[in-house]
Parts: sequence; structure tokens; C-alpha cells
Amino acid sequence: MLDGDPRLSLLLALADDELVLGHRHAEWTGWAPHIEEDLAFSSIAQDEMAHARLLYGLAQPLVGLGEDSVAFGRRPVDYLNAWLCERPNGDWAYTLARQYLYDTADAVRLEALASSAWAELAELVKVMQLEEKYHLDHGRAWFRRLAEGPVTARQKFADGLAATVGEAVALFEPLPGEERLLADGVMPRTSEDLLAQWLEALGQDLEAVSLDFVLEHHGPGTGEMVPTSSGEIAGGEGDLGVPGVVRRDGRWVHDGGFTGGGGRRGRHSEDFVPLWEEMTGLYRAHPGAKW
Amino acid sequence: MVSRVDELEHGALERRVWEALAEVHDPEIPPCSITDLGIVERIEATDEAIEVDLLPTFAGCPALDVIRQDAEAAVARVAGPGRLVTLRFVYSPPWTSDRITEQGREQLRHYGVTPPQQGAGQVFIPLASLERAEGTADCPFCGSHDTLLESAFGPTLCRATLFCRACRNPFEAFKPKEPARP
Repeated sequence: MLDGDPRLSLLLALADDELVLGHRHAEWTGWAPHIEEDLAFSSIAQDEMAHARLLYGLAQPLVGLGEDSVAFGRRPVDYLNAWLCERPNGDWAYTLARQYLYDTADAVRLEALASSAWAELAELVKVMQLEEKYHLDHGRAWFRRLAEGPVTARQKFADGLAATVGEAVALFEPLPGEERLLADGVMPRTSEDLLAQWLEALGQDLEAVSLDFVLEHHGPGTGEMVPTSSGEIAGGEGDLGVPGVVRRDGRWVHDGGFTGGGGRRGRHSEDFVPLWEEMTGLYRAHPGAKW
Repeated sequence: MVSRVDELEHGALERRVWEALAEVHDPEIPPCSITDLGIVERIEATDEAIEVDLLPTFAGCPALDVIRQDAEAAVARVAGPGRLVTLRFVYSPPWTSDRITEQGREQLRHYGVTPPQQGAGQVFIPLASLERAEGTADCPFCGSHDTLLESAFGPTLCRATLFCRACRNPFEAFKPKEPARP
């Protein structure tokens, strides 16, 4: 599916992130801890799915499929979302940590793509930015609330950040065909460059509330095998820091591999197929259905 | 932003299309016509065809399909049998809440939804149940400025929920949507 135009991998990476995370956010509908948050997550989900739809619409001529078919008619290996987006919601703190990390990262890449040489994409990105602003503010408000909140809230939020931050870094995993996207000006900046910008700002946010330890010390050691950007598998030992994230000259920088890498090439975690089955179930049961 | 009817290049027919569209309402904001919401971006009418470009308020607005159907029907009545009617949603320029007309703002207020402030670099912090941002919108019932934003999210994508401390009523406000100001 991705052998042709590299713009397709860019569109699918962006759109699949929004669709899949939107699907997870929507799972809070009816279940969030209070009514305002029920509405907030339902609304954010609605926005994210709408943004995915805009991008799938742009992908239509490249892929030769209709909007719904692009969204729901692909095999799991054809989805290019990052693992971060497909993980189950976990607890409320995990959900908020992920929403904060995702939307701060999304803001960085949208800011860059707003000046893409691909005019149609830049137009859609500008529309998305006006709506994403509310997601970003929501994530930031909860960040302050929990990070500066009571001990239990702060601890749970720190646990949520530690569990998600490694895979959030992989939102910036280089895209297939990125060299061509850069040469054509479709991507004004490299993924690595965007990651550097996001990571530095994240490090400052975390240091301001003394939660930067989540970057140093990222959960108990699991000994899991960790794929790196070069495709090598590195064995984890003992406590894993966030792989490839180090502090250098007073700044947090990326220097190496990715936890949960591979999403941009269609490799997914064990959590993706169950999500895909539910998300595409109606479409697969009733091909061509309209609603 | 004022009504765009003055900017239309070809008089009579385009004016009639505009007037037909002024009868179409957003089902999620019933008091306002789509012309007052600033959704109608372009009308072009010739002897053969009528083209209309609309700007979605929010990309995920579930009312878009209804608006399109109603607008198509309204334009078709003006067009007569001989003209091809093409109606599409476009995303450039992005719709902003500054496009709502004065009349639209008055209708919103009357309906009980505070219109968005225009242009003043409005500070609008969501989730004021956490932040307690004050004075973000006047109460549409008593006019008080002593209000609290409860949440940037509400019953539709384009509305926020607030509380008036003067008359003790919860109320809604149309969410400002505009580029960040430096």
C-alpha cells in the first residue's frame, strides 16, 4: 500500500494517530470521573476523528479508496499510528498523561506542517490547529492540576507519565520516505528536529514541577527487547530509562532508539488488533454501509 | 465581519441565492442562519451553474450533512431546472468565530448562548472547573460579567459551559475560534 507516494505515509501517520487515539478517548464517553470530563473527552474524540477524516479525504486520490475504506477498510499492518495511541486507557492518570504528551507533540508537528509546500495539507493543518488549541489547553490544565496537586494525584500522574513518555517519543519516529518529503518541502523539518523541539519543552515543563525523573527512570525493568530506529533489537536490562533520551548540557535530547517503534511501518503492539477488530467491526460486517 | 452580500459580484441571482441560504439554519444553533454564522464563503452564479462554498465551523460538526442537504435544497429552488447546483465544504480560509455577524450575535444572545468576543485577544482557558477563569463571557440572562467558565467543552463542539455568579444560572457560550494572537 505504501510503495508509491511518500505523502501517503505522512497522511496515514497523522490521520491514524488521530483516529486511533480518538477511538480510545471515545471509550471514556459515559465513564469519565465527572460530567465535564465526559464531555471533554467525547468532544476531543469527535475532533480527532474529524481531523482523521479530513486527512483521509486528502489521501483518497493517492490510495484510490473512499474515505470510509481508508479509515476502516485496511488491514492492521496498513495502519501507521504510533503505539502510544493504541494503548488501552488504563486509569484516569494514564489517560491524562497520554493526552498531555500526545497533544503537546501534535502541536509541534502541526506548527511545522502549517508551512508545508503541499498547500492542501497546510490548509487542513491550519483548520486543525484552531481546534487542537482546546485539547492542548485541556492537557496543560490537568498537567498543572495533578503535578501540583495532592500527593496521591501527583504520584499517579507521575506513574502515568512514566508509562507513556517512552512511547510518546516514538510519535516522532522517522517516516518511510521522509527524505523525499523533506526534499519536496512537504515536511518542512525532519522528525528528529521536531522531536528535539518537543523534548526540550517537555523537559522544561517536567523540571518546573520536579517530575523530570520520569525521563530518567521509566518504570521497573522488564528485560523486554526494544526495537531501535535502525531496526536493530536492543536487549533491555534492569531499569530502563526512556531509551535514547539523555540529559546533555542542561537539556533533554534524543540520542538513539525508540520504545515502541515500528508504528510508522505498520508494526503494532499486542493492543492494536483487538482495537482494530472493534473499530472496524461494523464496516467489515456491512461492507459499503452508509450512515 | 459583516454580511458578505455586498461583495457579491453578479447582482440579482447571487443575491437570491444568498437570501435562500439565509433561510437555512444550523440545527445545532437553531436561532442563527448559516449566513449569519459566516459559513457561506462564496457564491458564483452563471446561466449554467450555481456554485456555493461553505466553511464548516468545526470539522467534526455532526450537523454538516444536514446543513449541506438543506442548503442544496434552498439553492435548487432558486436555481430552477436549467442550472447545475454544486455545493461544497472548503477549509480555506479557516472559519473563525469573528465571521459571525452582529445580527447572529444578537440572535445567539437572545437564545441564551453568549456570542464569542471579537478580536480582543480573548483569554479563554478551558476546564475552569480546574482553573476558575473569570470574566470570560457575559451572562446572556442578566448581562453580568461575574461569570466562571466551567469547561471549554459542552453539548456541541462549538459551545462551552459557564456559570453566572450574579443570577446563579448555568449558561453556554459560543466557543471563540480564532488564531492565537502574538
